[in-house]
Amino acid sequence: MNLLHLALKDLRLLFRDKMGAFFVIGFPVLLGLFFGVIFKGPDSSSGGSGKISIAVVDLDNSPQSTKFLDELRKNEGLRLEIDENEAARKSVRLGQRSAMIVIPTGFGQKAGLLWEEQPEIQIGVDPSRVAESAMLEGMVMQAVATLIGDRFQQPTMFLPSVTQARESLKGNQEVDLATKLVMGTFLNQVEQMIEAADRVQASNQATGDGGGFEINFANVKRVDVTREVNPSSVSGQLQKIRSDWDISFPQAMMWGIMGCVAGFSMSIARERSRGTLVRLRAAPLSKTQVLLGKALACFLACLLVMLMMTTLGVVLGMQPLSYLKLAVAGLVTSFCFVGIMMTMSVLGKTEESVAGTGWAANIVMAMFGGGMVPVMFMPAFVQSLSRFSPIYWALRVVEGAIWRDFSWAEMLPAILVLIAIGLIGTIVGANILYRRDD
Amino acid sequence: MLVIDQVVKRYGELVAVNNISFEIKRGECLGLLGPNGAGKSTTISMMVGLLKPDSGTVRLDGASPDSNATRRLIGVAPQALSLYEELTPRENLTFFGKLYGLSAAKLRDRVAWALKIAGLEDRARHRVHTFSGGMKRRLNIAVALIHQPTLLLLDEPTVGVDPQSRNHIFDWIEQLNADGMTIVYTTHYMEEAQRLCDRVAIIDHGKLLALDAIPQLLAQHGGQSVISGRLEHIPSDFSLPGTLLESDWRLESEQPFDVLTRLAQSGVRFGSVQIAGPDLEAVFLKLTGRVLRD
Ligand SMILES: Nc1ncnc2c1ncn2[C@@H]1O[C@H](COP(=O)(O)OP(=O)(O)OP(=O)(O)O)[C@@H](O)[C@H]1O
Ligand SMILES: [Mg+2]
Repeated sequence: MNLLHLALKDLRLLFRDKMGAFFVIGFPVLLGLFFGVIFKGPDSSSGGSGKISIAVVDLDNSPQSTKFLDELRKNEGLRLEIDENEAARKSVRLGQRSAMIVIPTGFGQKAGLLWEEQPEIQIGVDPSRVAESAMLEGMVMQAVATLIGDRFQQPTMFLPSVTQARESLKGNQEVDLATKLVMGTFLNQVEQMIEAADRVQASNQATGDGGGFEINFANVKRVDVTREVNPSSVSGQLQKIRSDWDISFPQAMMWGIMGCVAGFSMSIARERSRGTLVRLRAAPLSKTQVLLGKALACFLACLLVMLMMTTLGVVLGMQPLSYLKLAVAGLVTSFCFVGIMMTMSVLGKTEESVAGTGWAANIVMAMFGGGMVPVMFMPAFVQSLSRFSPIYWALRVVEGAIWRDFSWAEMLPAILVLIAIGLIGTIVGANILYRRDD
Repeated sequence: MLVIDQVVKRYGELVAVNNISFEIKRGECLGLLGPNGAGKSTTISMMVGLLKPDSGTVRLDGASPDSNATRRLIGVAPQALSLYEELTPRENLTFFGKLYGLSAAKLRDRVAWALKIAGLEDRARHRVHTFSGGMKRRLNIAVALIHQPTLLLLDEPTVGVDPQSRNHIFDWIEQLNADGMTIVYTTHYMEEAQRLCDRVAIIDHGKLLALDAIPQLLAQHGGQSVISGRLEHIPSDFSLPGTLLESDWRLESEQPFDVLTRLAQSGVRFGSVQIAGPDLEAVFLKLTGRVLRD
């Protein structure tokens, strides 16, 4: 109970101190928003003025394929760029374009013919663009449907096919009589359907309803554009990002946590300078309890910061993949930084010296750990240094839970590192503080 | 109640407390009197277990002040203000009350009482850093009292407090003492010790020079009373004791009234006359060879 009283008092003090509270909440939030917006910039500019840029590979080059592309182009949000197959695929993999569409050979002959097996239109969408993917598929369906509608609208284009089908049916010796009969009836019905379609067409135009005969008979095949990407490459990592805030909010969490660390490491020195440490030590508390109270306060503050940042991120559109893993990440990260706080608090005896060394250490940790520039954008030799920063490991578990889609096995090393840092930091710091008799 | 036995505390070369022994009786108010650096605060710190003596022992009802049970009995108002300035007095009192195990209605009652005694009821919701020095002093004492200690240690509690508040504080210290609380009162103000304390310990350079009830101290170390006045008429061929400078007269004597009576009978006429009895200042001067206040 005493520990809780001590911790709650510290939390209250932290949030009463305007500068302290700013470093714990205000500053990180601003940072998160700022970098989130910056991050958004290049991503959407790849589509230019908010359009989704799509690489189109037209292997057919028929009037129908041109017509199909014209239809597709009518969609405001798309920008189509004709390209070679491999180049197209690569551009999506590198994140330069959002998707690719491959129109197969033979598309012109078969597209829109209901009884033919539909040509396979390949679509590959950057997996980070879940929403656009569904939209694009819908647009492709619609464009194919327009082709079908066109065939209905142009009997000259369409009826020869029916006649041709009838001829080939007649001439085919392998088809038994019953089937021929059924198919013949079917083809007659198709002819009637064309007439019906004409009527619908006419009435649609009369009511100004746009028209078009919508039958979703396009055969869309998904092409995986990520599988061949090295998942640890920058583009491989970026492809997993599903929200503009995925990178900046974990960073914001780190800054909030560093604010807590700086605040609480100073607070032991402050208790000393304000004389309240004397009162605490005169009270029926052990020295250990006083130190544990500080640790608990810092732990709770870190958790609180992570909870707030997560909430804000989710409100803005961040979608953590696993809340359970995020919770575990929060716990171990907070524990780790409690240890760091305990060690930092012995780096000086006055508030000023602790604050100075504390923030200096924070900034170095953040710089190398990816708290400023994400580690994946760093030069290789700096990346290898980043392993020494607790921020690096904290970001790994947090990002692992939010967007990296880590399994527990992938989380484990970072979790262990964080717990180890927390333990060592707490033991070292608490021991020095404990011995420091004043 | 509190026994201090051959206690020594060193800071490096400096011997802050040098082999002090004394006993504080239950219910008394003991004054610790001494100049700056005498070792008063160091002694207080050892009484609460904040400092461990290098040698010797401190025992409260037979137990070491290190134990939680013993600490609960002690309330201490440190010489340096010890308050959370960002919190309100109510929050300060509540927090420390909880540390001593108070809760619910009991805690509320005690907080209300402490606020009243400190005269801070109407400022209970303001943060401490907005308070004047005197208000903080009063709160500093009130916090020491929150858990109803049986032994109250006050280390120069009235520094910077105006005379009115000071009197107010004296009134309730006297009340608490009358209600049975044992009090150790550290000061270098003679009049405070003289007003409040049953016994006074005089400390200098870490040594206990004297410890006794005030009248005994005065009798033993106070020396003579000083008579001074203006004389209007001195009979001729009368040999006047003391020193006379123009008409200002001064005499030291152990029986000032006898002297005055004798002089009056001899026909000496006084314009004005004052008798200054021996005081702690004089006792201090006698014991240390120094004046207490600079
Ligand atoms: N933490 C410390 N480190 C070194 N010396 C100290 C420490 N605390 C006190 N001293 C020394 O011990 C001596 C006694 O100090 P103490 O604070 O007990 O004096 P005091 O009687 O309370 O004086 P004051 O009336 O000024 O409060 C002083 O010489 C002081 O310099
Ligand atoms: Mg002192």
